[in-house]
Amino acid sequence: MKVRCRPLSMGSMSAAVWLLWLLCAPSWAELAIVGARVYTVAAPEPLEGATVLIANGRIEQVGVELPVPFEYRRIDAAGKIVTPAFIESYSHLGLIEIEAETTTNDAMLLEHPLGPAFDVSLALNPASTLIAVNRMDGVSRAITAPRPGVDPLAGLAASVRLGTGGFLLEPKTALFGHIGAASAELAGGSRAAVTQRLRRALDEAARFSPSRYRPGPGDYSRHDMAALKAFLRSGRPLVLGVDRAAEIRQAISLADAHGLRLIVLGGAEAWRVRDALAAAGAAVIVRTHDNLPRSFETLGARLDNAALLHEAGVDVVFTAAETHNARNLRQLAGNAVAYGLPWSAALDGLTRRAAQVWGMDNVGTLTPGAIADLVVWTGDPLELTTWAEQVIIDGQLMPMRSRQTQLFERYRDLSKPYGYSR
Amino acid sequence: MRIRICALLATLHTGLAVAAAPYESTYVPRPTEATLIRGVAVFTGDGGALDRADVLLKDGRIAAIAEDGTPAADLQTPREIDGSGKWLTPGVIDVHSHLGAYPSPGVASTSDGNEMTAANTAEVWVEHSVWPQDPQFGLALAGGVTTLHVLPGSANLFGGRGVTLKNVPARTMQDMKFPGAPQSLKMACGENPKRVYGERMQAPMTRMGNVAGYRAAWAQATAYRDQRQQFESGEADAPPERNLTLDTLAAVLDGEILVHNHCYRADEMAVMMDVAQEFGYAITAFHHAVESYKIADLLAEADICSAVWADWWGFKLEAFDGVSQNAALIHAAGACAIIHSDSAEGIQRLNQETAKAVAAGRRMGMAISDAEAMAWFTGNAAKALGLDDETGTLSVGKAADAVLWDRHPFSVYARAEKVWIDGHLYYDRADPGRQPVSDFDLGQTVAGGER
Repeated sequence: MKVRCRPLSMGSMSAAVWLLWLLCAPSWAELAIVGARVYTVAAPEPLEGATVLIANGRIEQVGVELPVPFEYRRIDAAGKIVTPAFIESYSHLGLIEIEAETTTNDAMLLEHPLGPAFDVSLALNPASTLIAVNRMDGVSRAITAPRPGVDPLAGLAASVRLGTGGFLLEPKTALFGHIGAASAELAGGSRAAVTQRLRRALDEAARFSPSRYRPGPGDYSRHDMAALKAFLRSGRPLVLGVDRAAEIRQAISLADAHGLRLIVLGGAEAWRVRDALAAAGAAVIVRTHDNLPRSFETLGARLDNAALLHEAGVDVVFTAAETHNARNLRQLAGNAVAYGLPWSAALDGLTRRAAQVWGMDNVGTLTPGAIADLVVWTGDPLELTTWAEQVIIDGQLMPMRSRQTQLFERYRDLSKPYGYSR
Repeated sequence: MRIRICALLATLHTGLAVAAAPYESTYVPRPTEATLIRGVAVFTGDGGALDRADVLLKDGRIAAIAEDGTPAADLQTPREIDGSGKWLTPGVIDVHSHLGAYPSPGVASTSDGNEMTAANTAEVWVEHSVWPQDPQFGLALAGGVTTLHVLPGSANLFGGRGVTLKNVPARTMQDMKFPGAPQSLKMACGENPKRVYGERMQAPMTRMGNVAGYRAAWAQATAYRDQRQQFESGEADAPPERNLTLDTLAAVLDGEILVHNHCYRADEMAVMMDVAQEFGYAITAFHHAVESYKIADLLAEADICSAVWADWWGFKLEAFDGVSQNAALIHAAGACAIIHSDSAEGIQRLNQETAKAVAAGRRMGMAISDAEAMAWFTGNAAKALGLDDETGTLSVGKAADAVLWDRHPFSVYARAEKVWIDGHLYYDRADPGRQPVSDFDLGQTVAGGER
């Protein structure tokens, strides 16, 4: 693919004006991506040989045989595929640099100072090397969440963008928690105690008043209760990590009791309660490869979980559940397709559907006015032997470079003198 | 067979002769039906590709491969499979698995992969932990895996002996053991041993402590082996007292057990190559080896394989310099690249992991063919297990270990349709009667599902 200015046309513009334009060009160029098969996601069918015009960080127009204004930087994408950039629905981006190095890991509380008030947006590191690595493979936005720690309510997640502008999009986008074997252990040894603790906390938070609240041993602090009350009023979703069908039912009723929108994280056995999930309007964040009976809570795990949920009308979005390799989202979505999910539903779950589930406005489709987060792929983006040729976020061409490409360049030719490349 | 005889001789040498080697394989090939796969695209697993061929599986071996246009009349069999629009590859081989030792469900009572009680546990054999009912074996089979090398964990400098299994449903571990396959020794570099023991204020606590630990053990093993040899040649009156730990290490020095060394960093691999040189043993493969690309020339020269992931990185500091082009760079330097799983999920799609690894190279301008990369999870893997005379490639005379894929195996949408081991059809996606179910899975909610 070539990125180039359109050849200067002397008939339309004098050399002096041309030079002036070059000097005054805005920091984000106006872009025209020309000739690709474009999946807008808004329309059911792709546009063949289409042009995408981008200006001021937004999609201006998408269509076949659109005239390209001369000042637009033209990107020849004939034979390529263009889609909206992908949204990772569960990560710890900006919170973890090296998993095992606790000094670089801010995703989880190992002791108990905070419960639901734990707000990860205050620890985000926009300089993380993981951002460029995952951006290069077409990930433009992510939910970055607390990891299940010592409390069944892990805390408040943030939404982030992987562009070169500001990293944090919005703090407190959702409250994360979990019901299962791990949280049962924390709650004294039974899943029942977890559910009771969550019910009681939400009930008390609904009528919480700082002056009247008298926390007993093991109860949430005033700070946690205030955060929980604010969450209940925010209209934000409750995300619960639950795998066994029985706990998914508990999660549905818990959310229902407080009028909360439920998002199931993982949901290995979600297919078994798909009708109840659909009726509750709950979404599921699926990790497609999760097919092992790896615990007694996932004995029903199946590769066609996503397909069965989608068929029942449940919103399916995706996670790689591996922050360093959020870039593998497309492989996971591809495997969902291999096991029955329609290709268009997989693309939807990576883009528009994820934006809807997370309340991100104006992203996830390529329609006029939408934020210009998109990718030029060498072929089917869910395939393994294709790659992102150019990633565009907020209308800007992203550098297709990361710490990994720098390491690669340093070592691709071992006969060169070692140690000075950058 | 050669190897089994070696093991037997070694036993005789110690003066503890028994009629048959203990824990010997009791694998019995199942009945086969001569099967002709017609008009199929073939990746041979040693860098070769045939656009369209007829492949005959007979009596457990690959009996014939006839390229398009060659008269194949003599290949007539009652059972024919139309292979047009499909791909045939060698059976998938995973050189780094913990199936059976870390089974599903993964609970404390099934966690049998890591004897974290001493830095040197060369005396343990992971085969004695393998639970043949692990439902993960069947899932790996559905991903085309016919052979897998199960290793103990990496907490120890010397983790114990590994075992190569045929991925067949069985009541006993011995029924799965690959006949004649050499055992392996798992060694581990870097963060794991020094963390596990350092936290207990025991040796090793540092990387230099790791290396001192290897050297002390090899020095002891060398003396043990010398004493045995002196007894055998009549120079000494008695053999040394039998030591199970040193038995394993001495067998490495005698070339009967292959060293598979968990090691991430390039500089540490270079040190391990020097340790091997000091004590006169060979390293067959470095495992994980996320920095092999930094010393791919040295690895090529030393003829050491690198068994790597496609793209795992950053989960610990010694994995921070992982790049997706690792396998491609190793291959381009003329060294032996293998894609391994180390994961009960990853083992189900080694074809996909390899596809990502080759695409990462191409993305940076490296020219590597699909056929070459197919060897990364077939032929090269067989070589690292000492089984390249028996399996790993589709060549006449080798075991009929093969996978029929419904699409190009590097497609994310490809699924293994049929899997043969020694010519027996062990898995058929279209026939639930040919999909093994472990005892554990009986009566569970998954029954009938597309697990």
